[in-house]
Parts: sequence; C-alpha cells; structure tokens
Amino acid sequence: MSDLAISIDNLSKTYPVPFKRVRTFFRRPVKEPVEALREVSFDVHTGEIFGLIGRNGAGKTTLTKIVATLVQPTSGTVTVRGHDSVNQDEHVRREIGLATAEERSFYWRLTAEQNLLFFARLHGLADRFAKQRIKDLFAKLELDEAARRRFGELSTGNKQRLAVARAMLASPPVLLLDEPTRSLDPLAAEHMRDMIRSLAQQDPPVTILFTSHNLAEVETLCARVAIISRGRIRAIDTPQKLRDLTSESERVHITTSNGEKISFTRQHNDDSLDEMIRTVQNRGERIIDIETERATLLDVLERYETTDDTDRSV
Amino acid sequence: MNALKLLPRRIFAFVARDFRLFVSYRMQFFLRIVSVLAVVTTLFFISKIFAGFTDPQFSQWRDPLATWLTGLAVLNYFMTGFSSLANSIRQEQMQGTLESVLLTPINLPTVIVASSAWDFLETTFFSFLYLFFGRVFFGVQFRGSFFLAFLFLLLTTVVLSCLGILSASFAMVFKRGDPFGIFIGAGSALFSGVFFPTQLLKTYAGPKLGNISLILPTTHGLDGIRQVLIEGHGLAQVTQPLVVLLGFLVVLLPFSLWVFGRAVRRAKREGSLIQY
Repeated sequence: MSDLAISIDNLSKTYPVPFKRVRTFFRRPVKEPVEALREVSFDVHTGEIFGLIGRNGAGKTTLTKIVATLVQPTSGTVTVRGHDSVNQDEHVRREIGLATAEERSFYWRLTAEQNLLFFARLHGLADRFAKQRIKDLFAKLELDEAARRRFGELSTGNKQRLAVARAMLASPPVLLLDEPTRSLDPLAAEHMRDMIRSLAQQDPPVTILFTSHNLAEVETLCARVAIISRGRIRAIDTPQKLRDLTSESERVHITTSNGEKISFTRQHNDDSLDEMIRTVQNRGERIIDIETERATLLDVLERYETTDDTDRSV
Repeated sequence: MNALKLLPRRIFAFVARDFRLFVSYRMQFFLRIVSVLAVVTTLFFISKIFAGFTDPQFSQWRDPLATWLTGLAVLNYFMTGFSSLANSIRQEQMQGTLESVLLTPINLPTVIVASSAWDFLETTFFSFLYLFFGRVFFGVQFRGSFFLAFLFLLLTTVVLSCLGILSASFAMVFKRGDPFGIFIGAGSALFSGVFFPTQLLKTYAGPKLGNISLILPTTHGLDGIRQVLIEGHGLAQVTQPLVVLLGFLVVLLPFSLWVFGRAVRRAKREGSLIQY
C-alpha cells in the first residue's frame, strides 16, 4: 500500500450553467459558469492531519465534496488510497467518512441512536456490531445522554458531534472533517482536537483532511496546511514555514522587575533575545514577562487574499 | 461482502427508518384507516344505484362495488410503484439527507429499491384494507387465482416503477414540475378503467382519445387483475395483457436505469444533488 492516502492531481471544477442552451434559445440572461477550483494538486500522506484554509467561497467545500464523490470534477483526478473518485466511487466511499456542519443531513424525528443505526446498516454493518460501535462512539464523543433524544431536540454542539460520530461509524481510514469544532464550547472543542490527534496516531492511523476557520486550531493540529484562495492552492507547507513565508521576524515585548517595558524586533534564530536578557540581568533586574508577536496563519491568509485582490484589480 | 449479500440489510435499514418515522405520526395512520372505510362505504351505496342496470357487454362490471374496490386497491398500488421513488428522492433532497445516503457505499439500484420498500409495505396494507372491508362489511366476493392476480400486480408495479425512476430522474435534475406525474397520475384514473369501462371512452370521446388507455400500463394491469379476480379467468385467457406488460418492462427497465444514472451524474456535475 502506498503512503499516499489522498492524491489530488490537476483538479479543476467549473459549475456549469443549468440549461444554458435552453436559456440562450429563449434569449434569457445566462450567468457565467462558476469556476470553483483551478488546477489543484496536492497529496495527503497516511496518518497525516492536513489542513485546508481559505475564506468562504474559496473552494474548500467543493474540494471536500469531490474527494467524497458527491461532486464530479470537470478535469483532473482524485484518488483515495488508490481508488479513483469518479470511476471507483463506491470503493472510495468505503474508505472515507465525511463530517460537515450541515444540520439537515440527519432525520430530525429519529433519535441520535436511530440515525446512526440507519447509516451503519447502509454501511453494511451487522446490527450487533453496529450497536456496540455506536455505544463506543457515543462514549468517546460524550454523547451518551443524547443517544435516545430526537435529533431535532439536540443542541447544536451535540448535532455536530453526532456528524463526526457518523463519519467514524465504519472506521474509515480517511476522515474529511469540515469545521468539526465550529459549534462546540471551548472544552468540547479541545476534547474533539484531542480525539482527532489520537486518531492520527492510532494503529493503523487515520488520515484527516481538516477544514476550519479557526486558524489557531489548524496551527496546533495540522502537520501541513494548504491555503486555498479563489479556487487555487496558493501555498502548502507546515504552519511554521507558512508563517516564515510572511515574516521572518517577530516582535518581542519584555517586562522587567522595575516595571520597564522593552520592545524590539528580532529575526528568527538570531541571538538578540539572549543579548537583551543578559543586559537586563547585568543591570540586576529580573524578567517578569516575555511576549512574542509572530505572524499567524491569519497573516499568511490575508497576504494571499490581498495579492489576489491586487491581481484582479490590475 | 458484495452488494447483493448486503441488499436485504440495506432494504431493512430503509424500512426500519421509515417505520420509525411513520409511527412518530400515529394519528395519521388511524385517520387513513377511517378514510378507507368511509370510501368503501360510500362506494357500496353508490353501487346500489346501479344494481341490475349493468350492460352485459361489460362483464367485469356486474358487481360495480367489487370492480371499484379492485380498481382502487390496485391503482393505489400502481401509484406507489410510480411515485414512491420520486417522492423519496424529493423528500431526501428537501430534508437534506440525500447526500448523507449517497455518501455510504451503496449503489444506485439499491437506493432505488430500498428507498421505496416501506411505501410498498404501507400500500400493501391499505390496498388490502379496501378488499378486506369490502369482503367483511359488504359481502364482496372475489374468485380466481390470487397467485395469478399477484403476478399481474407485481408486473404492473415493476413497469410503473420504471416510469417512477424516470420521474425521479426528472426530480433530480428539474426539482419540480414532473410531467410523468401529471400524465400517469391524472391519466390513470381517467383512462385506465378504474371507475368505468374503458370501452365507454371510445363510444363517447372517439377512438383517438379512447386509445390513450392502451398506452397506459395501468389499463392492462387492471384488466388482467379483474379478469382473474372478478371473471375467474386462468393464465391461458389473460396472455394478452400479460404480453403487453412484459413488452413495457423490456423497454422501460433498461431505459429508466440509464436515464437515472445520467440524472445523478448531471446533478453531481452541477453540484445540485441536495437542492430542491
């Protein structure tokens, strides 16, 4: 088995204008086709947590849906563990679980447990195994109390956790998580992040394609991050290297024991911070606090968005 | 495990889901039973007006109540075969659950069969009620081979399911305004001889309009079932409607599956699978 869990090659997606010929024939106004993805290529390795960040409408959802076989690409290919997403879509669906923040994807008059049991049966799981699996997932995602409540009565956070539980039902080796912590309280979100980390570290590891607007979360979770803007992948690297692309310096703020605040800019890995600490200590003072201001993924994202806006205006 | 082995489990999944949803609206169930009884009772009294007036050329109409009840029970069944798939697709689209179903490793023919399984069970029950109430409360007699009648019922339902698949394909792409629904739904009650003999159409509306009944599978299915249940005919006497229904099946089954596959591909290309 190859080390690649997901391989995306030169993928483009243009949403066609429905009934364009008919509209043209009747001289009705015809909208321009929407170009959602343009020549996207990247690989995700087995056991990797791969982040996808971008603004609303950047193409994240389209990309996720193509990987999940729900939308067909205009050109290019997606393979999941060696299976082509168009020609071997059933195989691909066996390998993936998708959790979105879409609440309407469940049956509101069925309980959380009945909903999962239905989808488990569609996955071909035997009832006894499915019920045990659902019980385990409810325990893992702290959903025990919600099990026998109708989906419509669940809190937004529990609905979101149930979506993640459904994605994990058949223990797929690849998980596509679309903003899995969006509606969770801070503690529940941290618990979810811990679970995601443990999935990637278990044996055999689960590969995770993760989209989120919480950039701090992406930085802490993902081994690599792709920045997508207007359907194009603008950069792929580790969060650290992406930050370094934007700025190789950081601003340092030191507070000394006599209340003095010293601020200066240093280059990554230079020795100016050591020098400053020595200077303060030589003056017989103690350092009370040190803060650094580094570029975040938000700065990186803003940089690419600004570049795109400039390109479009030229 | 291959798809065929998993088919019963998946059908059961849909049936169990729909049963749960059905029992979450209990009042609706009891009201439907009462309405079937009300319809059968009304038809009984209307049939009394025609007692002794039946034209001998309409041999199936000697007991109008038996003919109407057979017609209604069977039409109910036929309409389910025709409409249940499009309805379930439309309902899943409106609920937003279609994508979740299609995300599981389930192929399209399985979705087609499984998503309408509960509708057929429900309709079997209510169709049976028409005949049961007629027999128990109003002494309606049925004769002939129930097995042969069931064969006709099954065959006509599968033919109508093919039209239902075309209707579902339409729902997938155009979302609303299904022409098959209008043609089959409104046309069957008027042209298939549910409430009156199809020969009367030719007499009063001319041969062109009268011949419309011949292109509806429901006409042949209903004729076959009535020949068996009301006139007591055997297999040798009902070969004509049987052959016509088989002809419909041979043409419509592959065509409808091909169209449905194309409709799903188109919806995936347009990204409109969950829109309604």
